[in-house]
Amino acid sequence: MSDATKLAAEKRTDFGKGAARKIRRAGNIPAVMYGHGTAPVHITLPGHDTFQALRHTNALLTIVVDGKEQLALAKDVQRDPIKPIIEHVDLVVVRKGEKVTVDVPVHLEGEAAAETVVTLDHATLQLEAEATHLPETVVVSVEGLEAGTQILAGAIELPKGATLVTDPEALVVNVTQAISEAALEAELAEAEAEAGIEHEAPAEAAEEAAPAEGESAEAPAETTEA
Amino acid sequence: MLIPRRVKHRKQHHPDRHGAAKGGTKIAFGEYGIQALEPAYVTNRQIESARIAMTRYIKRGGKVWINIYPDRPLTKKPAETRMGSGKGSPEWWIANVKPGRVMFELSGVSEPVAREAMRLAMHKLPMKCRFVQREGGDI
Repeated sequence: MSDATKLAAEKRTDFGKGAARKIRRAGNIPAVMYGHGTAPVHITLPGHDTFQALRHTNALLTIVVDGKEQLALAKDVQRDPIKPIIEHVDLVVVRKGEKVTVDVPVHLEGEAAAETVVTLDHATLQLEAEATHLPETVVVSVEGLEAGTQILAGAIELPKGATLVTDPEALVVNVTQAISEAALEAELAEAEAEAGIEHEAPAEAAEEAAPAEGESAEAPAETTEA
Repeated sequence: MLIPRRVKHRKQHHPDRHGAAKGGTKIAFGEYGIQALEPAYVTNRQIESARIAMTRYIKRGGKVWINIYPDRPLTKKPAETRMGSGKGSPEWWIANVKPGRVMFELSGVSEPVAREAMRLAMHKLPMKCRFVQREGGDI
């Protein structure tokens, strides 16, 4: 993400939950901007544009306050757990060419060998990169990997210009043997028995168990005779 | 089934059902999750049923996490009993789930498989839920 999204912000003079709620009701987002030893600046960001800009990981933003442009990164985004609303944003001021440490999500690519389960133990990697050239993802290929393979952070090919901050010995991808069909069936049967879950008989088995049409017609007749 | 090994108080008051989840509202381990949209008491049987439904559908391909634990006992008086004579005996173990809580997580399967597995699991749960995915994330 080298292109910074421009957001026009307004300085805030009212603080507290009442003022913040008023801003949110108007469709805007309260935010604070700090960094490089400067005093924190309380601002209001446009709701929709900020929401769209923050869809990208580690998005670089250009905040325009009182006609002055400032490059910033979203350090912390408070979201509503249920509604698609951003409640507050913490912005950290950055400068062109400055190196910053960010969490970059790991994306897996390809299909591992059959009968294996691929687990992502570290969903993000901490990388140090130039603020204006932050990588959006780190792609790790798991194509054809066999059970027992482990990919450590140090073994991952990083995007150009980025250096690893996470412990190089940290486990990122773990490929394990899938549980055998018999073992899985036994485990589920045991769990179902314990929980008291009953299965409906499969259609074929039900047909076999039920008497044929002719037999069923005769059976009641026999009973009546008896 | 999930059940506490030992509790400090055998009979407890009903837990508070108001408010939203304070934590556990994001996916922490897997790639996909089931998020509660309403408050509910989820019993250990419901948790187990949901887990089994998911595991049966994904077969041997993925990994399931359960993020809630049924650590609260609920009591019940026997049928046709007059009121009084003390509190009933423990009958269920429940997890007090608030809206926003990610209850189950799943990884190692494709999105359509995860959606279907979680749809089946949601039918075993006593509240409205939704399918959620790991987002890009902040710094």
